[in-house]
Amino acid sequence: MQERKTTYEIPVGPIHPALKENIRFTFQVEGERIRSVDVKPGFVHRGIEYMGMRRNLIQVLYLSERICGICSISHPIVLTQAVEQAANIEVPPRAQYIRVIVSELERIHSHLLWAGVAAHELGFDTLLHLSWKVREKVMDILEELTGNRVDYALPIFGGVRRDIAAEQYPKLMEMIRYYRGLFEELSDTFLRDPSVEARTRDVGVLTPKEAHELCAVGPVARASGLRKDVRQDWPYLVYGDFDLTALTPEDHGVEVHGDVYDRIIVRLLEVAQSLDLVERCLREMPEGEITSFPKIPALLAYLKKAEGEGIGRHEAPRGEVIHYVRLEAGQEGPAVWKVKAPTYSNLMPWTPMFREQEIADIPIIAASIDPCMCCMDRVHVDRGDTREALDKQALLRLSWEKTRRVCG
Amino acid sequence: MTVDKVLDMLRTSAGEALTDPELRSRTVGVARPQEIKEVWAGISGQALVPAVRALADLAPLHLSVISGRDAGEDIELLYHLTVGYGTEGGEVLVTLRLMLPKTALRVPSLCGLIPGAETTEREKREFLGVAFEGITDDRNLFLPDDVTAHPWRADDEEIGGMVRRTVKWEERNAGT
Repeated sequence: MQERKTTYEIPVGPIHPALKENIRFTFQVEGERIRSVDVKPGFVHRGIEYMGMRRNLIQVLYLSERICGICSISHPIVLTQAVEQAANIEVPPRAQYIRVIVSELERIHSHLLWAGVAAHELGFDTLLHLSWKVREKVMDILEELTGNRVDYALPIFGGVRRDIAAEQYPKLMEMIRYYRGLFEELSDTFLRDPSVEARTRDVGVLTPKEAHELCAVGPVARASGLRKDVRQDWPYLVYGDFDLTALTPEDHGVEVHGDVYDRIIVRLLEVAQSLDLVERCLREMPEGEITSFPKIPALLAYLKKAEGEGIGRHEAPRGEVIHYVRLEAGQEGPAVWKVKAPTYSNLMPWTPMFREQEIADIPIIAASIDPCMCCMDRVHVDRGDTREALDKQALLRLSWEKTRRVCG
Repeated sequence: MTVDKVLDMLRTSAGEALTDPELRSRTVGVARPQEIKEVWAGISGQALVPAVRALADLAPLHLSVISGRDAGEDIELLYHLTVGYGTEGGEVLVTLRLMLPKTALRVPSLCGLIPGAETTEREKREFLGVAFEGITDDRNLFLPDDVTAHPWRADDEEIGGMVRRTVKWEERNAGT
């Protein structure tokens, strides 16, 4: 008798089932259980570093904002740090505070955006609408401060391009009060809701050992119990002045499981932490210059003569961003520009997270690292001679049905 | 963790294979300004794994990324590591520079020591053509499976062809 094949291959993507971003997962499944997964990124590789090495540094700065719309302050902040180290440029104190304020506002909007996506993956659209409704407050503030909801064009080598005016302080304080007033409601809805807990507790587990060995970063590493946060570990800008602590689920008074639920806890705690940081910056920020190079032609001329290497690092909402820059005298652009975004480091941790989980958990586990790539919209399932296509809606339906099933 | 401890450990583990060790510093902070030092040093391929192992024994080690460039006769790899995350201000940034002649583009993989090194080693293999001995998976990662050119190599004449093939590949896949 012919032996029956029990393991099937399910390619998911490059059309991503969970987010609007391109990536290909190839799952080996047995029944509903995932036995292993192969992850293939690169479907939206735009050669940005290659492009950057053929442009002048000011152009590269605006190109760096376009690496990621959500992290559109993180990459310019890191690039400016790297170039400022290479070219020995000082940043005025006030500009350092402004960079921190906008970075923390970006963290708030990114985490709230993620919260909505996660709620949608679970079939809890009321929570998606709540999260995205309250996110509008910080988007309005970002627009108020920079003129844009994303791509703020704020940092420049040697400082920032816009100041925060005295009349804008009360608006920021009003935003802080608004979110603090909402925090209990958001925590209650996410962390004490039985259906959220049933779908995320002990799902997509990453142990502390795996998180360390696979070089996980950001909320993914911290949800697995690693107190790893560039803002805490490696002082830069004014973060070293703040006695900041990397947050783990233990700070919420619970034991670390390293699962999707813990990733929700960490991101919610970080929203509150960011509010505190913004408030503190507003209180302590000194008056003064916002850039050491007010004239762009002078800056470009200076950069053209600069020679050296520099590294910039920043804790973006999704984790560590690092840029390496090499400047050579006579060249307007960088001789070398290497960018590492957080999802790059969180690719490998996906493998243990998916192992032994159900197909219906794919969307929420994929979303739980808050990945950052682009999307397409289709899933193919090969089962022997039969071939069927599951579109995004079908896979989401599977996830939503599981929510209804486990929650009675 | 302190830069002096990290540098001592590198000197002990790599010996003469550690070249031009240098401490670079930057001043950060406003209310409490502090000088943050980082380690930059050259290293040989043979000494790389023992040196990184020694750093991993010292404190929690994180490999941020490996960057690289075509330096003419050589390929330069820069290993950006951090030692001692998890403590306030206690992390030391270390950059180890490795020069590989284009005639012998081979270097031991760090995957046995840091499994998370696989992503960045795969990227350097495909973009610069460096072979990592002992890597757990050496397939293309970011480039399409059938691309054999190395886009960051100045001497790679296939890049133009690669761009044309990539466009064709995208067109073919867009239609399915």
